[in-house]
Amino acid sequence: MGGNITAEALDRDERRIGVYICHCGLNIADTVDVEAVANYAGTLNSVAVARDYRFMCSDPGQDLIKNDIKELNLNRVVVASCSPRMHEPTFRKACEAASLNPYLFEMANIREDCSWVHDDREVATQKAKALVRAAVARVYYNDPLEIKEIPFNPDTLVVGGGIAGIQAALEIADSEHKVYLVERDPSIGGHMIQLDKTFPTLDCSQCILTPKMAAVGAHPYIELLSYSEVEEVSGFVGAFKVKVRKKARYVDEDKCTGCGLCQEKCPWTADSEYDVGLSKRKAIYTPFAQAIPNVPVIDRDSCAYFLKGKCRACEKFCETGAIDFEQVDQFIELEVGAIILATGYDAFDPSTISQYGYGIYDNVITGLQFERLSAATGPTGGEIRLKDGRKPESVAIIHCVGSRDQNYHEYCSRVCCMYGLKVAHIVKDKTNADVYEMYIDMRCFGEGYEEFYKRVSEEGVNFIRGKVAKVTDKAVSEEEEGKLVVICEDTLLGSIIRVPVDMVVLCIALEARSDAEEVARKFIISRRADGFFLERHVKLDPVATPSDGVLIAGCCQGPKDIPDTVVQASAAAARVLAMISKGRVTLEASVSHVNEDLCIGCGRCEELCEFHAPKVGIYEKPMPVSRVNEALCKGCGACAVACPTGAISIKHFKPEQILAMVDALAET
Amino acid sequence: MSEFEPSILCFACNWCSYAAADIAGTSRIHYPPNVRLLRVMCSGMVDAEYVMKALEAGFDGVMVAGCHIGDCHYISGNIKAQEMVTRLKKLLHILGLEDERLMLKWIATSEGPIFAETIKEYVEQLKKLGPSPFRKELVT
Amino acid sequence: MSLEDIIQETKTFYCLDCGKCTGLCPVSRYNPAYSPRVMLENALFGFQDDLTYNHDLFSCLTCYACSSKCPGDVDYPLFIQKARALALDAGQHGDCAHSGTVQSLARLMSNPGVSQNRLEWLSDGLRISTQSDTMFFVGCAPYFEHIFDFDSGAIDAVKASLKILNHCGIEPVVLPNERCCGHDMLWTGDVETFRRLAEHNAAIIKEAGVKKIIFSCPEGYRTFKEDYPKYVDIDCELQHISEFLADRIAENGLDFSEVKRKVTYHDPCRLGRHLGIYEQPRKVIAALPGIELVEMEHNKEESLCCGTSAFVNCDSCSKQIRVDRLLEAKATGADTLITSCPKCQIHFRCAMTNKGEEKGPDVEIEVMDLVNLVANALGDGHNE
Ligand SMILES: Cc1cc2nc3c(=O)[nH]c(=O)nc-3n(C[C@H](O)[C@H](O)[C@H](O)COP(=O)(O)OP(=O)(O)OC[C@H]3O[C@@H](n4cnc5c(N)ncnc54)[C@H](O)[C@@H]3O)c2cc1C
Ligand code: SF4
Ligand code: SF4
Ligand code: FES
Repeated sequence: MGGNITAEALDRDERRIGVYICHCGLNIADTVDVEAVANYAGTLNSVAVARDYRFMCSDPGQDLIKNDIKELNLNRVVVASCSPRMHEPTFRKACEAASLNPYLFEMANIREDCSWVHDDREVATQKAKALVRAAVARVYYNDPLEIKEIPFNPDTLVVGGGIAGIQAALEIADSEHKVYLVERDPSIGGHMIQLDKTFPTLDCSQCILTPKMAAVGAHPYIELLSYSEVEEVSGFVGAFKVKVRKKARYVDEDKCTGCGLCQEKCPWTADSEYDVGLSKRKAIYTPFAQAIPNVPVIDRDSCAYFLKGKCRACEKFCETGAIDFEQVDQFIELEVGAIILATGYDAFDPSTISQYGYGIYDNVITGLQFERLSAATGPTGGEIRLKDGRKPESVAIIHCVGSRDQNYHEYCSRVCCMYGLKVAHIVKDKTNADVYEMYIDMRCFGEGYEEFYKRVSEEGVNFIRGKVAKVTDKAVSEEEEGKLVVICEDTLLGSIIRVPVDMVVLCIALEARSDAEEVARKFIISRRADGFFLERHVKLDPVATPSDGVLIAGCCQGPKDIPDTVVQASAAAARVLAMISKGRVTLEASVSHVNEDLCIGCGRCEELCEFHAPKVGIYEKPMPVSRVNEALCKGCGACAVACPTGAISIKHFKPEQILAMVDALAET
Repeated sequence: MSEFEPSILCFACNWCSYAAADIAGTSRIHYPPNVRLLRVMCSGMVDAEYVMKALEAGFDGVMVAGCHIGDCHYISGNIKAQEMVTRLKKLLHILGLEDERLMLKWIATSEGPIFAETIKEYVEQLKKLGPSPFRKELVT
Repeated sequence: MSLEDIIQETKTFYCLDCGKCTGLCPVSRYNPAYSPRVMLENALFGFQDDLTYNHDLFSCLTCYACSSKCPGDVDYPLFIQKARALALDAGQHGDCAHSGTVQSLARLMSNPGVSQNRLEWLSDGLRISTQSDTMFFVGCAPYFEHIFDFDSGAIDAVKASLKILNHCGIEPVVLPNERCCGHDMLWTGDVETFRRLAEHNAAIIKEAGVKKIIFSCPEGYRTFKEDYPKYVDIDCELQHISEFLADRIAENGLDFSEVKRKVTYHDPCRLGRHLGIYEQPRKVIAALPGIELVEMEHNKEESLCCGTSAFVNCDSCSKQIRVDRLLEAKATGADTLITSCPKCQIHFRCAMTNKGEEKGPDVEIEVMDLVNLVANALGDGHNE
């Protein structure tokens, strides 16, 4: 505006387009009359030269383009050959090598879209001409785009201190790059620290994890922010800004020596999260003995001082004066280049499946509770005991509780068969009880897993193929009196069976965290239908997400065992280290741009952009207008569609470019 | 008289449907040549106006092809495309255009055969419908 | 038509180079680079490219604020209309709002093969006929319902108009395959499409055999009255619904229930400066018992444009004009801004649709079409 003559008026007729039709050996030339297409291209508006060549992607083919750019002063290039998904980068580089901006290049796909899918030579040639005509029409409107780079901040944020987060943090920190590890709970460790032995090798979970936790706590390159959560994320790959809420512990981390006296003296209790409700902990507590950091927190919901205004016993006994009831939540601003999300999973709550009696019958427990019963650090010191203290004489293990079930989760949770077998083994080992394992299919896919299955089978475990229908305490025979009766069809025998047992262990599903949606929104990533975080590509890019610089590892991406979790964590760490070692990020050049003269500041773009790139504000004009943070924009084009005035458009995908193609493709 | 050959413009998302067409190509799955592909970065990039211009230019059918819901590279572009198509269909309905002339389809990268099948079916469907009322040659 | 022809037809050579137009132009107020005087000067010097490739050719609102006061009697908006046709020949079409959907619809509608489903909004309570001498021209309202992401109110105004006509004992003809009047096409330079639309409308109106056409949209009214005669023959009496209502009220009065509102009236450019209709809408408002009408600082001949026309100049400058107008309306203390143009209503309502965090000045005020105000006060007791 502003009395401006439109850009088109200024450089009309100055286009000099070179068009190159590739034979691709016979791949194209067999079906398409490439010579005819080249001749035709030569007649199109602004085309300075049109040639055909056997292999455009070969070095001599590329040289053809480079020489023509120099000698014939070409300022736009079209290659008609294979899919742009294949060779667009190749030809863009060739143009760049001849000092032509790579965005002044356009490709027509006459192989995948034409010669390979049609057989009538005349029709295919006709279609190839249309595709070339459209590419020429489009390239006419292409603009040179500036390719921008920014420095990459080598600090990294890891969210979640389970095994995934711990592994990733250590790998990055070991290469002497700073890591901030944010953990929501009072200690790192995640679910793994609750496990007793781990399948299939049966090594003690705590024994292998605690050294890693200690390494995190002591690492000069790791800043552990426990009992903290990420509040806000802004910025973009290479330059994220993160606001972390450090929740008030009411204990001064610097003064606390971790002596544990406060916990001893505190008279108030609540259910232990660590023991999944099988024991009590105090109102001031560290979740378990080897907690990192070894600093307790006061739980406001069970502390008498916060509930009723008096007690403060801990304060009286603390020798270092570390208790601080005045503490408030702190906000910490971090700047990082990349983010790894390792927020893990929630254990499925089986009380929603009422027929299994969880929460009704004392001796129906979850697999996770079993881990606590069996662990030496657990409430029974590792003895497998019923609620009344007796040793169980028979135990049923029910598979697929909440998994492979359309009513709950359609997916397989991948670890339950294996931990079910582990439970069977431990029960046999510690109590010699009769063990019944009710399964649908035995999925023992990992290294040493099938062998473990075999080993457990040989230990005398009874395997019953069938999904359990019901667990009840209603006895119909003397034998069932005082027992829990597990009812299911043994599908191999084809008959209903009733198995009286003392204890039932439910192999509960692993499900997405209940706050996964909120976390996904905060970090601008998506979720699958099953609720877990969505990877960028299920096969080829399993740790990246649509948000550049935000990676995912461990069970937050889907249920998996510890070995797979660790592999993913290492992969995510490697991806971060690769970015750090490059040191710069190239920003997407095809991003949105606002013509502030046209913008009416309506904010539609701001409202709908998933990546928070546009922002309406009062800048130079008296009225509000939108501006785009190019580093955040992904160039998806949603804003341009919503914009009522056409003020915002996507570079390289401007309406002129698309409409020119529409018209050119329609011509016959 | 030769059989009526409908022309189709397909706006194909770079990350899925366009890639599916590539797969159809590499697997040599033949489909009718009546379709012209126009690559966009996301189905959510397709403006209602592009579709109207395509109809005006004489295409008998327009297809907007994107990633399955939940799989959009840009999170929700395909949902926006769905909204656009729903709204535009209302306009086109008032204009007296048959509903089938604008088609929205989710085709994942791996679904090359589905891409080819979709085109085949669409061509058949449009053959039954006959030429679009907006076809240029009809304009006096 | 050449530039020379345009100069002749619009008497541009009478320009005194005085700059009064620029001084009066609402666009020039916010876009200092835009000057109607300079546009004319360039044309007179024969700098055709400076005209056709000048983006500001599309900034003009064709509101007639300039020409109505021009000492040389130059018809600047007409000059712009013609010059835009020249520009279109050179491939220039300005930045059409809503990606050009409105223009595309008109072009598609101009196709003879089209058979529309444009009457689906008709509900049981509204009566139309095929026999009446009177026709009601619906215009583009059925489409507007699905173009905008806010309530344009256009179809409600059409329904209100029918309710009014029915109440007055008229069951008008409403044509099922009526086309866009072509106003926006003509004013964006697409004369060819305009001609086709006009011819089609003329033919079906002739076939319907009506003697009178009533409009609630001033653009349709103006187009039929001023522009159609140059292309087609419409042998009918034409009337804006505000004129119709003013006549009815003067003749035998209409029974209105009380309207407890303080309103101000915005003169649409097409109805006001284009056709000189200022008093009838005001008379209609005054006839509503209990209503209070207050005038804005700029009213009647001095009225400000709503800021956009032909969907081709919606931009930051247009927004500012709209915001100004809405602030002027609010300054009167009125609770409702009445207009009698569906497009003004759309542009005002749009200006209030702010979804960003930064919303600019508070311009919230109820905007209502005159016909809705009247229809609400008619008979059925329900009147908010
Ligand atoms: C009963 C049972 C037995 C199992 N046994 C075995 C076994 O024997 N062998 C084996 O290989 N696998 C086993 N598994 C699987 C194993 O538990 C997982 O593979 C592993 O724990 C996954 O680790 P993770 O770090 O991804 O998630 P988690 O262990 O869930 O860790 C996630 C961490 O992130 C924190 N967090 C979550 N959200 C946020 C947030 N928003 N902000 C900050 N922090 C957050 C959590 O507090 C937690 O510390 C078993 C699973 C179950 C249920
Ligand atoms: S193109 Fe997509 S990512 Fe970029 S600003 Fe627009 S909506 Fe946001
Ligand atoms: S949607 Fe368009 S007009 Fe509205 S604020 Fe964004 S760029 Fe400006
Ligand atoms: S990326 Fe394919 S539809 Fe959005």
